[in-house]
Amino acid sequence: MRMAIAWGCLVPSRRSLIGYEAATRKVLEHLGVEIVDIPNETCCAPFWMQSLDVTTSLALAARNLAKAEQMGLDLLTPCSGCFHSYKRVNHTMEKYPGMKQRIQEILRSARLRYEGTVDARHLVDFLFTDIGMDEIKSKMVRDLEGIDLGLRYGCHMLKPHELLNIEYSERPIFADQILETLGATSKQYTGRHRCCGGLLRGTDDDLADEVLRDRLLDANAAGVDSLVTVCSLCHIQHDMGQRIIKNKFDIEDLAIPVLHYPQVLALAFGFSPKEIGLQQHTASTSTLVAKLRGEVKEGGGA
Amino acid sequence: MGQTDEMRSQKDDVPIRDEDVDREFKYEVADHFGGEGLLRCLKCGACSGGCPVAAVTDYRPRKVLGNVLLGLKDLVLSSDDIWMCAACFTCEERCVQEVNFTDVITILRNMAVREGHASKGYLDMARTVLQHGRVVPMTHAVNRMRDKLGLPELQEPDMEELSQIMSSAGFDKILSIYAGRDTTE
Ligand code: SF4
Ligand code: SF4
Repeated sequence: MRMAIAWGCLVPSRRSLIGYEAATRKVLEHLGVEIVDIPNETCCAPFWMQSLDVTTSLALAARNLAKAEQMGLDLLTPCSGCFHSYKRVNHTMEKYPGMKQRIQEILRSARLRYEGTVDARHLVDFLFTDIGMDEIKSKMVRDLEGIDLGLRYGCHMLKPHELLNIEYSERPIFADQILETLGATSKQYTGRHRCCGGLLRGTDDDLADEVLRDRLLDANAAGVDSLVTVCSLCHIQHDMGQRIIKNKFDIEDLAIPVLHYPQVLALAFGFSPKEIGLQQHTASTSTLVAKLRGEVKEGGGA
Repeated sequence: MGQTDEMRSQKDDVPIRDEDVDREFKYEVADHFGGEGLLRCLKCGACSGGCPVAAVTDYRPRKVLGNVLLGLKDLVLSSDDIWMCAACFTCEERCVQEVNFTDVITILRNMAVREGHASKGYLDMARTVLQHGRVVPMTHAVNRMRDKLGLPELQEPDMEELSQIMSSAGFDKILSIYAGRDTTE
């Protein structure tokens, strides 16, 4: 299997996020998926750019799609923000012929062409749908039994479902199922489907803090060993934002590791915490790593 | 969690006076692509009920909709309210009338931007993209960290294509509205 991949702006360039890229590369290679980086990838111009000007946003996102189309490949991305941008382009071009023309005209001025044939895929959906749980299970090296995870689906992988077409967003289960296949427990708790306020960072930081505080308190009350995110913005909020929340609202016992989704798979596939950058996260992952060392059974199979 | 003490959204100016009302406003919004659902709004409030921002402030999507439908154009476009949406799409997902409020917010923001009311934070991010091709410029420190993790060197964004696209889309004109205004790099 061969896919083009767009990493987005944040994943390859933030200390706590490059482990996301490392884990994604390792996991896909382990599963026999060949990936080709979008050449000279530019910003996908997500919702914040859409807020300034929707036409600019769509045309910019279409640039990376055009590159994938040129290579004849579908486009994979680990970031929900990027995923949303690319799906939005295809959806708009399909539904509004006038906008399709406008986007193509703008692309032509940059000597680019996009017909709308590239399927944009979120990494987690790709793992579930195209790889499948049997295959993932057969590639496991160790079982993550005893690890309680708090999975954050976030907003932009699923909502609105009419646009993204993965699973109805109010009660999704597919990403939990993979974690459970790996032997971990995906804890159900109040608030785990609610927004983390990531898009408010940069425009209203106080508000972003208030929304995030509740999400972190929810997770803390649930007593998870680690949170797991599927989006770069969600990770920045829960991981880097955690320190802000701890100090600002004086929450003493707040210390939750935050893993990127493919890092969980990478651990089950036998990669070391260091190889996938767990030491680079802002919220320390050491309690989780210690628990993995002590409790993880060798030998595979759930 | 509790409400914050601070009043975060616009104050109510009642009664509404005729001279504040632009009767065409709602049609103007509904005419934009993505805004078609606006006129179907029942003002039932399901959007406010599920809104994560409404849970911690007195921002309410239904109230924004009410003001748009009333025709309070100036008030809506100059208010902080339209910049408080976190774009989580929960309201859009739950609305029985398929109003697509998050798309309506995008339209309102695009209009507000043209009237000089852009969010400063978002504008700064756009300027960074225009200059560096990505919202986070690369640093040597990050490249060293990538190297240590065995990641390939990051390719430079194609700045020629990017700036051509942004100027053909008219983004230069939008930025020129804000030229000379104080923004931090
Ligand atoms: S947008 Fe939808 S959910 Fe909100 S008030 Fe209107 S009809 Fe109700
Ligand atoms: S999209 Fe905006 S208005 Fe709608 S529920 Fe989310 S934060 Fe509230």
